[in-house]
Parts: sequence; structure tokens; C-alpha cells
Amino acid sequence: MKKLLALLIAMCMVASLAACGGSGSSGGDATEAAAETEAAGGDEAEAPAEGEEAEAEAPAEGGDNTVVIAVISGFSAMDPAYVYETTPTLMVNACYETLYKFDTGVDTPQPCLVDSCEFSEDGKDVTMKLKPEVKFASGNDMTSADVAFSLMRLKNIKGNPSFLMDNVESVEVVDDDTFIIHQTTADSSLLAKLTYGSCSIVDSAIVKENGGTDAEDASTADTARDYLDTTSAGSGMYIMTSYVPDEEMILEKNYNYWGEQTNVDKYIIRFEGDANTQMMGLKAGDVDIALNLNDDTMDELEGAENVTTENTPTKTISFIMMNEDPEIGGPVSNKLVQQAIRLAVDYEGMQNVCGRGAITPKSIFQVGFLGSAGELDVATARDLDKAKALLAEAGYPDGFDIDLPVSDLDMEGIPMLDIAQKVKEDLSEIGINVNIVQQNWSGGYGDAYRAGDLGFSVMYWGIDYNDPNVQLAFLPGESVGLRCRWQAEGYEPVIEKMNEIIQETDDTARGEKLLEIQDMIADDCPWIVVAQASSHIGYSNRLEGVAFTDVYRVDIRTINVK
Amino acid sequence: MDRLKFIVKRLAFMVVMLLGVATIVFFLTKLVPGDPVTANLSQRALNDPEIVEAYKIKYGLDKPVFMQYLLYIRNLLRLDLGTSIRTNKTIMWELGRCFPATAELAIFSIILAAVFGIFFGIISAMKRNSIIDQLVRAISVCGVSIPGFWFALLVLFFFYYKLQIMPGPGRLSTAFSSPEAVTGFFTIDALIEGDIPKFLDALKHLILPGFVLAAFTMGLITRTARSNLLDVLSTDYIRTAKAKGTPGRRMIMHHALGNALIPVLTVIGLGFGNLLGGMVLIETIFNWPGVGQFAYNSVKALDYPGVIGVSLLIALNYMIINTVVDILYGLIDPRVRTK
Repeated sequence: MKKLLALLIAMCMVASLAACGGSGSSGGDATEAAAETEAAGGDEAEAPAEGEEAEAEAPAEGGDNTVVIAVISGFSAMDPAYVYETTPTLMVNACYETLYKFDTGVDTPQPCLVDSCEFSEDGKDVTMKLKPEVKFASGNDMTSADVAFSLMRLKNIKGNPSFLMDNVESVEVVDDDTFIIHQTTADSSLLAKLTYGSCSIVDSAIVKENGGTDAEDASTADTARDYLDTTSAGSGMYIMTSYVPDEEMILEKNYNYWGEQTNVDKYIIRFEGDANTQMMGLKAGDVDIALNLNDDTMDELEGAENVTTENTPTKTISFIMMNEDPEIGGPVSNKLVQQAIRLAVDYEGMQNVCGRGAITPKSIFQVGFLGSAGELDVATARDLDKAKALLAEAGYPDGFDIDLPVSDLDMEGIPMLDIAQKVKEDLSEIGINVNIVQQNWSGGYGDAYRAGDLGFSVMYWGIDYNDPNVQLAFLPGESVGLRCRWQAEGYEPVIEKMNEIIQETDDTARGEKLLEIQDMIADDCPWIVVAQASSHIGYSNRLEGVAFTDVYRVDIRTINVK
Repeated sequence: MDRLKFIVKRLAFMVVMLLGVATIVFFLTKLVPGDPVTANLSQRALNDPEIVEAYKIKYGLDKPVFMQYLLYIRNLLRLDLGTSIRTNKTIMWELGRCFPATAELAIFSIILAAVFGIFFGIISAMKRNSIIDQLVRAISVCGVSIPGFWFALLVLFFFYYKLQIMPGPGRLSTAFSSPEAVTGFFTIDALIEGDIPKFLDALKHLILPGFVLAAFTMGLITRTARSNLLDVLSTDYIRTAKAKGTPGRRMIMHHALGNALIPVLTVIGLGFGNLLGGMVLIETIFNWPGVGQFAYNSVKALDYPGVIGVSLLIALNYMIINTVVDILYGLIDPRVRTK
């Protein structure tokens, strides 16, 4: 026994020492390993035969053209019909294509799979023609039947993103290339909705083979999710060859891609939740693109020779919400108090809390959207004397005490708690004593927030699809508006204007109507947008074409190794 | 024969305990003020009763809580832990994926902790009240007191980021693909593949998280080994051995250490259980795809099947470890066997 123990101890010490001894440079070993494989494998990766998946073995031949992306996890599905969170759109955009896409730096949807598009006079029916050369990664031709299957599967599967197809009645297949989308009413945001990853066109033959269906009972009958959560069946530039939840995903080049490809052979998507870890990986050269940095880590990267950093405004906003129901909101349901709070917030300080690149929109419609009222003049927006006068007029000359429940969530790395603390600090200057109550999102806060049971809180909102119509949800009687019990009664003109906006297919006219509706709710709005967050990304200088986009985080289709 | 009876008894007890743990955790998760439907569906989806209904049916949330419990226990007896609400994969699959990563790290850590802990304990006891003793005691107090998450960030910052002599988070460098899963232990699987660079890379990735995890247990082991060895060294039979002129090292290794190791074994066993159960923060910081990270993500998403599955796994670990420790007692000390 003692001899055995001694042997075991000796072995452990030898193993530990061997590992320590060889740890001079982990990167060095990795590079050596890559070099060895490169030497053995030749220069160029051979295209697999039609329908054959690329091998997942790393390092890939031409290992220099492998790009590592670090991104937070926290999503549940890779099947496009279920994809709803922000992160998966990065990968879905690489493996699938949609009828329209947002190109980096362009505000309007651009045709991707579509050759031509024609709206009927009433705007309800949209006839589209597919590009003839499009092939799936399997080698199958893409046809209108694939489009109809994909969109109706999304609708009938009744998952989180199925609302995108709420207004779509059916998709009629005219011939192999032509199809008509029939809508209940005209929808000015249809093309923007079609850019969303959930509207990806899937290879219907493969999906059906694996249990997929677009029938009305798809919510119970479709069993293709298991398959699509681990591999892809699209026409995108890459194929998902491996996905281990919370760990990593491998995307390899689709050699059947019908369009022009970049020179990146392989992506390794690493799920790393911590900004510090992402920053260290980027600086050490283990990571090529870090997508979830924050102000502190951006400071640390400043001046780094091999890294470029970018702060780009997103369309994610944080706001103060004040419940309209006096029984729930108490004093903050009073319109004068709401105006007082609006004047008491230090928006400039709030931008500092939200990090560099943060801006403040004038209303709930973000800067960058069609019809945005632009940025708030943060230098003049605060008026404490007027705020105090309004409080006195509302019957609270000495202010009041109020609870502010706040969740454990963060907006682009900014904890909601930080924003709540700034609100507390600002409102104390007009006599409002805020008591911050921390709650877990999944431990009750989320339920109360969505049920409209929170009196006074701070939260954030990321867009569902890249179109200003998405913000109409904040209006009275709409899903988000009801979170602060903002009822439709008494706001009939606003609702009428909203319906006009939804059905207005002319963008100039829609932009004007969006500005009008913002004027209509300016004094009554129970929301105070405190900041529009900025994204903080960093990437290796060996790459080009990296830029943040709201829709895909970064558009993998534009990235090349220099 | 007695030992066989003992093991069978412990195994039967284990099944009862697991059912108890499953029951307590099941009802505790139901007491959490949150609804998995609202935690996992979007607001727009929640507005559609059909979507909500389809979701509830899919995860059995449409049934009364007691019925859910009975179904859960029935499935548990069939070794079916259900499907994760968050990942849509079976919990058995998820645990099968995560457990080897955690076990590999925990075993590496406990070996580090045991080897260095016992070694430091012996040195400290032999050089009692010397500078070395004081130093070792200071180190062991630090090991026990340093918060794990802070220590993890610190070592990552210095050894990976600043000095760049250790690999960063994860189980393997990006230049290597995961070895084909045979045991799920990357080091062993890499050796089975015959890929020595990959083996060394996997081993290097174990060092920082392993060291951080080992610090607490190592401190405990050092202190326990030292105090027990000092106790044993003051017994009559050691005094007799000294009087007979037995050399110091031989006396420690052959006469004193065996007796001093019994309580240390308990500490190692408990420490190992703690390592398996307490990895949430360390795995999150080191991006280690193990049970701790899975538990953290399951709790965040109110993934009841995931939370219960992890709880059962940790409880099972504790029970197995305790049983193994009890058996090892008998192997190390014949007096325990005869009792």
C-alpha cells in the first residue's frame, strides 16, 4: 500500500513538473502543432465532394486562415425557426441566407437571395423571384418550395420568433423561382423582418428527412430541432460542423457556396462570458475577435499594437419605466412627477455610466432608425429647478420615498444596477429618495416586469428586428406599453397613427409619420430613455472587414485575413 | 464478506438518499418565485396562448406540481432525468458532456492538493516552529482563506495575460481539435490518440484552474497532516522508535505517516466532494465546460431539470466518495477493518 502510494505521488509530481516545464509558451506549442499539420497537409484544403461535410479536424490546412471569435453564450437554439437571442444571429448569418440582408453600413434591407421583388397595389401581396444560381451546402438547388417551407415552418412552429410571420397568411409557390407572400395587411417592415436569422431559407429536403414539417401542427409534429441544433442546412458561406453548447462552435467553409467567398477557411466560435477573459485572449493572440468587451477592457487594449478596438452605437436602449396605474406606480404614475423625473436625470452622467460611444436619443425611437428625432442635447436637458417646481405642483414639494426594483441583467456589459444607482443619485437632488431593490430576472423580476407589476424600474430593450416599427411596441396598449400599464384608452389618435405607420410602404412618408407620433406622446410617455448603448469590440489587425452591425453583431461574410 | 455486506448496505442507502435529494430539490425549485415559461419565452410569444400551451405541454409544465413530481420520480427510476428547458438536450446527455471535464479537473486538483498538502504537512511537522514551518503554515492559511474567484482572476491575469507562460481559459488551445471522446478526459483521450502535443496542451490547461481549486483543499490537508503527524510523533511507540535510534525520515515514513494519514483521507474525500460541487465560479472564469458552468446556466434560465440533474449528480458524488473513503480506512488501518 505504502509503495503504491509513493508511486502514485511520484507519478503525479512528474506529470505536474512535465507540464510546468513545457509551459514556456502555449501559443508556441499550438503554432508548432499547426505548422506540423500544415507541412503534412499541403497548402490548400481540398473541396469536399458534393454534399460532403468538411472535416472538423483542427488545425485546418492553412491554419492561419482560421479565425477565433469570443462571444457570450446564453442562447438555447441554433435551429433558425427557434433562434431569437442576439448571439446566434452571428452564426446563423454565416450558415444560412435570408431573402434580404442588411449589409454593413447600409440602413435598408438589400436583396440577398431575391432577384426581384414587387408589391401589389394594396401592399398585401409580395411577389419575389429567386436568384437562379443559389445552391444549398448539400448541393441541392434552392427553389420557391424551400422558401415556402422555411417561412411557414417558422410560423407554425410557434416558437419565440414566430411572431415575425404573424402577418403572413401563406406563401404561394408559383414556379421553381417565383413565389408570392400573402399578408393579412400591408406591412412596411416586412423586408426588415425577412432579414432576421429566423427567416433563413433552409434546405427543405434535408430538414424534412430529419423530422421537419411546415404543417399547421408543426409546434408538436416538427422534430428537426435536434438535427438543426448541431448542424446547418442552409446556403450560407459556412457550414456548422460542430456545436457544443456553452463551449464552442466550428464553422467550416461551404465549398458549394454560390457567391463570392472570403479567404477565411474556418471559424472557431468560443463562448466566453467574461469581458476580461475575452480581452486577455485577444491581447494574447488566442482570440481574433472579441465581441463583448467593456469600457475597462477597452482601456486595457488601448495602444495594443496587434489590436483594433471600436465603439459603435447599438440600437439597444436603457430606460426608466414609470407605471401608469396609481395603485402600482404610486407617485410616479402622476404625469407631473414623470416630467419632473425626466428633467432631473443627468443624461450626460448616464452616458458615462453606459461607457464610451453611448448616446441619448430624444425618444423611444433610436438614433439610426428611419424617423428618429435624433440625439438629446444632454448639456441642456437637465433642469433641477423646473423639476422641483413640477414635483411641488404634483403635491410632492418635499419629494417622496420609492422602491426601485432592478434586475441582475446587463445591457452590453453595463449592469442594470449601475444605471439604477445613477438614477438614485440624480433623483436625490430633487428630494426623491430611491430605495434600490435587487432581484433576479428569473427569480421573479422578469415575471413582474412583463406582467406590468413593477411600479418604478430601470430596464433595457434590444430590438427584435432592424426596423423602427419594432419600437411601436412601446406605445399605449401595445405589448411593451402594457408593461407600465399604459392603456390604449384615450390615445386613439396615437393608435390610428401607429396603424398608418405599419401599413405605409413609402419610407419618406413613414419617416414623417414616425416623427409625428413621437411628438404626440412626448409629454405623456411613461418611459425615459436614459441611453442608447454602444458595442465595444476588439479584433486582431490581421483581419479586415470587421465591423459591428446590430443585426449580426459582426457580418462574417465580409471578414478576410489580410 | 463483511465488507461486501457493508458495500451493499451503503448502495441501498444511496438510492434512498438520492430519492430524498430529488424530492427536496424538486420542490425547492418549484418554490423559486419565477416561471420557466416566462423565463424562456419572449414577450411576443407569451402573448400567444397557443405558443404558451405548446411550450408547457412540451416540458410537462401543464400538469399539477404533484403530478409533475410523480412523473419525474418515475422517469428518474428509469434513469431518465428529462430534457433541458434551456438547451433542448436530455439532461443525461448534458451531464455526460459536462461531467468528464469537471471530473478531470477535480481529480487533477485533488492530486495536486493531496501530494503537496501531505508533503508540506510532513515538512512542517518535521521542522516544527522553524522558518519553514511558519512559511508553510502561512501558505496553508492563505490557501484556505483566499476567495477562489479572486484567486482565479489573479492567476489568470499574471500567468496568462502578463507573463504569458500559461494557456488561457478553456480545455485546449484553438490549434487543437477535441480528441475523440473515449473517457471524456482530454489528457487521457489525447494519449489514446497518441497525440503527445495535444496531451501536453490539455495538461497545461489543467494547471491554472487545478491550482486555484487545489489551494483551499491543499491548505486544509497541510494543516491536518501537520497536526496529526505532530500528535503521532508524540506517542509512546514513536518515542520508543526514537530511543532505538531509528532515523528521522524512516520513522516518519514507516511508522508515523500511516497513522497520521487516516484523518487526512477524510479531508481529501470531503475536499474532492467540494471540488466537484463547488466549481461554479472557477469553471465560469476559466470557461471550463463542466458541471459548474452547466449548473450556473441552468439556474439562470430556471431550467428545473438541469438544476435537479446537477444536484443529484453532486449528491451521488458525495455518497460515492464517502463510501470509498470508508473502505479506504479499512485498507490503511487494519484496526478499522476489524471493528
